[in-house]
Parts: sequence; C-alpha cells; structure tokens
Amino acid sequence: MKMHKIADLNVLLDYHGKVLAHQAPAYETDEKCVPDIIIDLPDEFLAEKIKENPHLNASECEYVFTGAAFYNNIVKYNGFLLHSSAVEYKGNAYLFSAPSGTGKSTHTGLWQKAFGAEARIINDDKPAIRATDEGVFAYGTPWSGKTDLNLNVKVPIKGICFIERGEKNSIRKISTAEAIALILNQTLRPYTAEGMNMLLDCLDKVLRVVNVYILTCNISEEAAIVAYEGMQ
Amino acid sequence: MKIKEGYILRSVAGNHIVVGVGAASVDFNGMININDTGAFLWKIFEKGASVDEAAELMAKEYDIDIDTAKVDAEAFAEKLEAADLIEK
Repeated sequence: MKMHKIADLNVLLDYHGKVLAHQAPAYETDEKCVPDIIIDLPDEFLAEKIKENPHLNASECEYVFTGAAFYNNIVKYNGFLLHSSAVEYKGNAYLFSAPSGTGKSTHTGLWQKAFGAEARIINDDKPAIRATDEGVFAYGTPWSGKTDLNLNVKVPIKGICFIERGEKNSIRKISTAEAIALILNQTLRPYTAEGMNMLLDCLDKVLRVVNVYILTCNISEEAAIVAYEGMQ
Repeated sequence: MKIKEGYILRSVAGNHIVVGVGAASVDFNGMININDTGAFLWKIFEKGASVDEAAELMAKEYDIDIDTAKVDAEAFAEKLEAADLIEK
C-alpha cells in the first residue's frame, strides 16, 4: 500500500497492474499522513469484475474500479468527478464535457494546436473537481480514461463547457438550472440520500462561482479560440 | 396523496430541484426543476395531504383566495401523478 496525494487528499492505494504502475507514481508521496481514502480492492471483488467485464484485462479492471472507489469517496470531501476533458491554459482550467464520443478530447486537442505547449491536459476523462474556501479547482488524477493524459496539478476552474457538434463555432452561457441537469448526467450519482446531498452541496458551491456554457463546435482550430474567448 | 419514497427536494444555486436516490433512482435517473410554489407544495405532499389540505395551506402562506390555490394545487398534483411520483 502506498500513500498518494490526489486532489489534495491522502489516498492509500494498493495496486498490482500495469496501468496504475504507469499512472499512479506521479501522485505518490513520502509524507507521513493519515489517509482520507483507502483503496484496497479485495481479490474476490476484482475477480468478479474481471468476469463481468471480458473486454477489460485484469490490470484495466483494477484501474477502472480503483478509480470508481476514489470518485465515490471524494463526495465526502466537497468533490465530484465530471466526465470531461480538462485543459489548463494561462493559469486557468477549462472543462469540456459531453456524452462519450461527442468530441471532448478532440476539442482539447485543438486547444493544444491553437495555443501550443502552454495548453496542457489536466485529465482527459475524469478530472476531480473540489470546492474549497480558496475557490473551485480541477485536479489531475491517475484515472484518465483510455489515455494516460493526466497531470498531478491543481488549477482554478474558469469555465465548464458542454459540447455539441455543429457546423459553425459558437458559445453561450447557460443558466444554473440547465447546468445542474447537464452536470448530473456526466458525474457519478451517489446512491444514498446522504451521498446525493453531499454532491448537491458541492454543486451548489461550484455553480455560485463557476460559469457554465454550451459550445457548438466543429473540428477547426477556430473552435478552441471561440471557446477560450467566450469564457473570459 | 403522498409522494413516493426516494425523491429528495433540494435547493442548488437558487434552483429547486428533485432527484431520485436509492431504488427510486433506478426508475428515475433524471432531475426535475420546480419553482417556489412547487417546492412549497412538494413539501406538503411529501408528508402526505389531500389536494384540498394543500390548497388551504397554500392560500394561507401566499395570502391568495382558496379557489386560486385549489387550481394551482390540483395542477401540481396532476403533474406529480403524471410523472409517477405518487404512492399508489
């Protein structure tokens, strides 16, 4: 079991597989601290999940379910995941969310084309979001979906943006009412009332501070520029 | 009439919303937006009340005549039934 610092939380994480062996070390810490979250999946649990998921090998299963354990727990710490690709540019984080296959990663890839090395991917699939006294932050985590695009960074969120494909590029700010529905569709919804209340508490704090937008976009570099300028 | 178990009413960033939890979230994993009067009526039907009782409480709270209150309370109750949120 090794101690990791993920999203400003002390996470004691045990793993054996290749994927985490590649992606978790960037988050390791030598600090002696009390764990906020302990992730130690029992062998029988993993064996069952491997059977249920024939498209995943053992290492990928461990990766998916340790991630689920992490995100299920951060709701206790004013945090949640957003199924999105998060990019950092000039000190701020911009999160692009949409159902799978819409083009989140394609879009943040355009930010890198348009803005060069200054645009960095914080987490290409599931950045952790936490509402703190100092503001709302996006964090990289070892769990970044199908790619290993993640960085152990903490960046203040300037905007959350839902993507729709379209011919022309345009962006508009949406109401908090619209935003809540969209966000709930792209996060892990807690099963219990207690968990749901914690998630909604966090969402309440986030939406009072962070603007949410809908971006209609194509796959030209202009899409990145329209998105960036629309969120300033 | 009484609202089924497993639906919680919350205020989030100034919006009243209803979401399902537990077993209810299996049937309903969306979210409903309701306005201020809706939220007031929701809390009454959550505990269980007749439409007439709800209308009376509403008339008192909002200082409106009972007939208007009855129309609003009935309309809201119908929406709840249509969304299958009422205990049978």
